[in-house]
Amino acid sequence: VAVASGRVAAPAFAAPAARWRGRPAQVGAIVALMLIGFVLMRDEFPWPASLTWQALPERLDDFQTWLLEERTAEDPNFIFAVFDGFRAFAEWLVTAFNDALLWLTWPGVIAAAVLIVLRFGGWRAALVVAGAFASFALMGLWEESIQTLALMTAAVLLSLAIGVPIGVIAGRNDRFHRAITPALDVMQIVPAFAYLMPVVILFSVGPAAAVICTMIYAIPPAVRITALGIRGVTADSVEASRAFGATTAQTLFKVQLPLARRQLLLSVNQTIMFALSLVVIAGLIGGRGLGDVVTNGLYSNAALALLAGIAIVIMAIALDRATAAIAERTDPARAHLTDEGRRRARRATLATFGGIVLIVLIAKALGAQDIYPDEFETATSVYTATIEDTLLGWIQDALDYVQDPSSFIFGITEPIGNFMLEYLLEPLRIVLMETPWFVILAGLTAIAYVLSGVRPAITTFVMLDAIGVIGVWEPAMDTASQVLVATAMAVALGLVIGIWAAESPRVERLLRPLLDTLQTLPQLVYIIPFIYLMPVSRIPGVVASVLYAVPVVIRLVTSGLRNVSAEAVEAASAFGASRWQVLAKVKVPLARDSIMLGVNQGIILVLAVVVIGGLVGSGALGDAVARGLQRNEFGEGVVASLAILALGIALDRVTQGRRAARERRSGRGPGGGWTLRRRQLQP
Amino acid sequence: MTERRTTRSKRVWIVALTLALALFIAACGEEKDEEPAGGGGGESAAAGEDCGKVVLNEQAWAGSTANTYIAKAVLEDKLGCEVEITKITEIPVFQAMADGKVDAVLEDWQHVDEYEQYIDKAGTVVQGGPLGVEGHIGWFIPQYLMEENPELKTWKGLKGNEEMFQTAESGDQGMFLGGDPSYVQKDKELIKALDLNFKHVTAGAEPAQVARWSQLYKQQEPVIFYWYTPQFLNQQYDLAEVKLPPRTEANKDCKDDSKSGGDPEQYNCEYDITIINKLFSKKFAESGSPAYDVLKKMKLTNEDQELVAKAIAGDKEDPDEAGQKWVEDNADKVDAWLQ
Repeated sequence: VAVASGRVAAPAFAAPAARWRGRPAQVGAIVALMLIGFVLMRDEFPWPASLTWQALPERLDDFQTWLLEERTAEDPNFIFAVFDGFRAFAEWLVTAFNDALLWLTWPGVIAAAVLIVLRFGGWRAALVVAGAFASFALMGLWEESIQTLALMTAAVLLSLAIGVPIGVIAGRNDRFHRAITPALDVMQIVPAFAYLMPVVILFSVGPAAAVICTMIYAIPPAVRITALGIRGVTADSVEASRAFGATTAQTLFKVQLPLARRQLLLSVNQTIMFALSLVVIAGLIGGRGLGDVVTNGLYSNAALALLAGIAIVIMAIALDRATAAIAERTDPARAHLTDEGRRRARRATLATFGGIVLIVLIAKALGAQDIYPDEFETATSVYTATIEDTLLGWIQDALDYVQDPSSFIFGITEPIGNFMLEYLLEPLRIVLMETPWFVILAGLTAIAYVLSGVRPAITTFVMLDAIGVIGVWEPAMDTASQVLVATAMAVALGLVIGIWAAESPRVERLLRPLLDTLQTLPQLVYIIPFIYLMPVSRIPGVVASVLYAVPVVIRLVTSGLRNVSAEAVEAASAFGASRWQVLAKVKVPLARDSIMLGVNQGIILVLAVVVIGGLVGSGALGDAVARGLQRNEFGEGVVASLAILALGIALDRVTQGRRAARERRSGRGPGGGWTLRRRQLQP
Repeated sequence: MTERRTTRSKRVWIVALTLALALFIAACGEEKDEEPAGGGGGESAAAGEDCGKVVLNEQAWAGSTANTYIAKAVLEDKLGCEVEITKITEIPVFQAMADGKVDAVLEDWQHVDEYEQYIDKAGTVVQGGPLGVEGHIGWFIPQYLMEENPELKTWKGLKGNEEMFQTAESGDQGMFLGGDPSYVQKDKELIKALDLNFKHVTAGAEPAQVARWSQLYKQQEPVIFYWYTPQFLNQQYDLAEVKLPPRTEANKDCKDDSKSGGDPEQYNCEYDITIINKLFSKKFAESGSPAYDVLKKMKLTNEDQELVAKAIAGDKEDPDEAGQKWVEDNADKVDAWLQ
């Protein structure tokens, strides 16, 4: 992977920029001025202490102590009773789902899942679901998978219960939408590590805390996509219903919601995907399940951690395919059935549930266990029922190969890692950290003005100032250097692969499972091999961010190119343009908005992995956030998280371009677009 | 027609609702039935009722897995308790004990701030005495390097030899590979106080740090890093320690945890032996459970712990089996806890 990126990086990244409305010259000039500033005043102007709010981390620590004392006080504030009530409810819900899934017995769970998906989603999705459950069983991770499934179900239901109504309001009221957008941004960008301890203080450990953390991350996509769906209902339909004298409530329930049904189901799908990405974090605070296996496995049994990571991916893919298939099926456009068809559908539903009951009863009668067993016993002998050991053996073999510094692959990856560090990361880091702060501030603000306009420039200016004031200018510049290198690599790779996939549907089909895996596999899992293969400080963190961001860039580039109008392509071909000319002179320039969105999303996703980088030696902000939880340096952790947030907003504004700025002003766009993931990207 | 449709859809709803209700009631009923079945291989039902359920928390590292599963084997097989193991990370587990969600942590490396908050101030967590395992933190190098350069036995031998440890990321300085950021450490300050030409490089969490130094070890390259005992990897890699300035009367105020920052000089000494503590939730300590007395008396040596940790993490044995095996092999020790 890295071989391609290293060589191709420069030209591929420059290609779209060169055609980008003639502004690259201005940006180049600004960068040149900044470099002159670096050379003239190198290392002379660090962020001044007089402009720093030194006491902030301490204040935050005091807040946490206060919270803890209030919580344990003799007569706690009544607000804690509310938290306790919610905790009890969430815990009850998770336990109820878990117990119900266990009560069904393992054959019953498989039957229920497969038959329901078969009835409402179709046989393809049902096949995927069947395969998923079969693999949980064979991996020997049945119980953990059920625990994770129960936790996710509870978290997703609660997220939807809160997110969908808010999304409906946001969809109908622009001002409300604009007002909550910043809050949604904060919820999605501030790393969960930062607020884990306060959540534990308020909700204790266990499923409730895990549910809360998951909800904080999963509610924003539910709100955004629901709002988008409600907005998508044409004004004509709404007008028509009003004309017929419908009340607001009637319009909402009879027109807007039914017409937005597909988007609503899509928001369910996305909420599930986002929730699943917090499984590992949930494991740290008693969420049990697969997350537990991953975090603890990393220390004592890396192969097992990888296996659990694969189980998470399988669960994500199965849930994604199942909900997507159900959403597709319930499309109102397809729902115009005849009476006969309706009757048949009802019968099928009854048969489905009857079948489930029957299978559960039979399973119980035959004495099937709650949990898929590790071994089957017959009267004469015992059979191993899983292939866990075989799988672990294979993974271990792969890990052993990776960990062997005399291996062929290490001979390639190690020099690449060293090269990246010496010629990309280190120089950029030195420039960013040692250029006078006011030069960086002025330069980035100017670039934001040139690329995106006045308002983004003001936001950039304020955000960068905030980073300095809270006292983390230096580590933020260190992190920024890593983010920029990782984004450049992700964009370069994403462009090449994305163009390839757009030109060849077969490549796209082959890529899909790989991209799904990269998006849902916990980063901590796939980072492990890279620590061995490229054992130099910040490189594994950069690789992890590239791998996380590249699928979205690929998908944006592919869908952008696909959306280029057929007429334009035909016209070019008619004038005798070759395939390459069509691509370079027509398709890529016409898809530039999509490609710029890819750059923008790349940065945001790379920032999401900064904390993981902190866990594998990237230092800087990610390290401070991780330490905040692990050493109870709450204040420092929150400050670093805020800096990541500020950096994210600043870089988003610098790169968002004019079009997004226009959309944001009119309140039309989905907000910074933080939520964009794969389904939205497909036309 | 319309009427028929309604009745039919009603019927579907009634079936679905009854089904849901039946499932729910059955699930609730089932829960109660399951209670007494807990506890694997308890000796007698009577003992099982006495002990009930005990929640132990296992930390991420292998040593903690080892002592937790030893305790689990003893409690289950000798007392008939039902043992649940949680895996909550170091700091939040204090709140878990305060809330009575976790009964015991068997390996705590002196979290001074939390001791003050939870043990002294709130009193929701109580000290359970030392586990007997003694933690030792220090600067380690591979044995082969020590043999080639005997002067590295003390930190003085590092002076002038720093470039030996140079890597791509340390520039013209030597690389010192720092420990897991969540562990107690003061290496940055020590390097300053000892005036060594090292660049302190943070490798991140322990698995990442191990990946870094073990890779250099396998290549037989020089490497110096933060490390500790007891650790099962010490049985797999032959490591030697570089002596740091000793603790004496003169520097008895010397500190180990540079979290609070300040003058590097106040950290200028070797790491003190860390007494590893057992901690209990106050609720559990006052519950009168026989498990509490046993856990309170439980003692392990560094060798015990490393042996079991190696079996689990090194040889990939099932933790339950590894724990039970140690309990069988060390009946005398276990009997002492049971009296």
